[in-house]
Amino acid sequence: MAVIVHDSDNASGSMADVSIANSAGNFHYVIKGTSSAVGQVIDAEPMSDNFVLTTTFSSLPIISRSELAQEYKELGAALAEMTALDEGEELQIERPVFEAASSIAFELMKRSFPPPEVFTHGPKSVVFDWSNARNNLYLTISADKMSALISTPERIKRRMEYSLKEFLNPSGIFLAIRAAYAEQPVALIEKAGSSPTEEPSAAVG
Amino acid sequence: MGINWGPIPNADNLYRHSVSPPSFTGKKFRHAKFWKLFDCADNSVVASVAWERYVPTTALVHKYGCRLASERNAKKRDAGTFVEKDRQIYCGAYRLTAHAVRQLVGTEGLEEVSHADVVHDIENEISHVSLKVFFNSGITDREGTKTVIMDRLWSASSGPLIHICSGDQETVPHPNTTLEDGPAGVCCDTRSCLGRILDLVRFQIHNWIWEKFYRE
Repeated sequence: MAVIVHDSDNASGSMADVSIANSAGNFHYVIKGTSSAVGQVIDAEPMSDNFVLTTTFSSLPIISRSELAQEYKELGAALAEMTALDEGEELQIERPVFEAASSIAFELMKRSFPPPEVFTHGPKSVVFDWSNARNNLYLTISADKMSALISTPERIKRRMEYSLKEFLNPSGIFLAIRAAYAEQPVALIEKAGSSPTEEPSAAVG
Repeated sequence: MGINWGPIPNADNLYRHSVSPPSFTGKKFRHAKFWKLFDCADNSVVASVAWERYVPTTALVHKYGCRLASERNAKKRDAGTFVEKDRQIYCGAYRLTAHAVRQLVGTEGLEEVSHADVVHDIENEISHVSLKVFFNSGITDREGTKTVIMDRLWSASSGPLIHICSGDQETVPHPNTTLEDGPAGVCCDTRSCLGRILDLVRFQIHNWIWEKFYRE
């Protein structure tokens, strides 16, 4: 196991890059994190595929980028089906909601969030849901805004609200959400040299 | 319906019935869908629950749930839209108190709620209660607030009381196998034996009056 310690000398604003090579020398990981990020523990075994380590909220499962992309593609297809339903049907959502939700799903996929469960309150919003017995994270997506709720059975821990204009710079938003949910600074890990798909419509739905 | 049985005391229990497929995604129970809230024209959202005063035994709670699913299926059959794979199946009930609903007002992190109440609202079922939550005027994030309300209602839910209706015995696996434990713990009946008997007698009397003089 390896412990990654953030090198604050390389800090640039709130982000800093740390580069390591694993023991087999096969891959060179570039880690980006907040300036106070410490101790994102990874398994440094050599990998033969283009893996991305998903920082899910209670463990570090490893799935391939292609599996993640496939699950988000299915999410996009489900959202498209909901848009195609007749007005008044239980799961129907409006077109602008679908477009906002697809954009956000793309950003989530880029940042290796595990695919969420989905439900609606009605046609004007979609809710992405990552909840378990102890912690809940919900993103409520409307045509022009997104709000995040982090809660436990005992209390509401945090609520955050963003207009879609703020999504011109989404990185900070999703890091803030992930950090609030994990109650600690988090690091994103990507294989060096990989580049995520740039076309949302191709990646999600 | 012509009867006012008075306000529902804070300590009284209310039951929310879980029916597949509405509370499910595929074959898996989803608590977020279980507490679906419907918009009303008066700047509120509403959900339906049953008042323990008029379902004073677990058997009566489940009879209500079985009727709920059965009537929905019958309505679809009458409309010619019934599909077997979407047949409504009652799975069980969760419980919360009237106080848990009213204390949504003033919940830290939920400032958008001006008023929350449970009102005895007989809709062809003597135990039917409307759970209403009103928003402040000028609320900017109605949809996000609905998510918070759903989350807090689920957090206040105990159970489940699991059941299989007589017409669903052949359904294997029954969707009730995926019901989650309510965050507020198990349902315990804290009434004394005498209390339960008195509740049952009161229910029988009120139900007879309603059936005889008021039910349409």
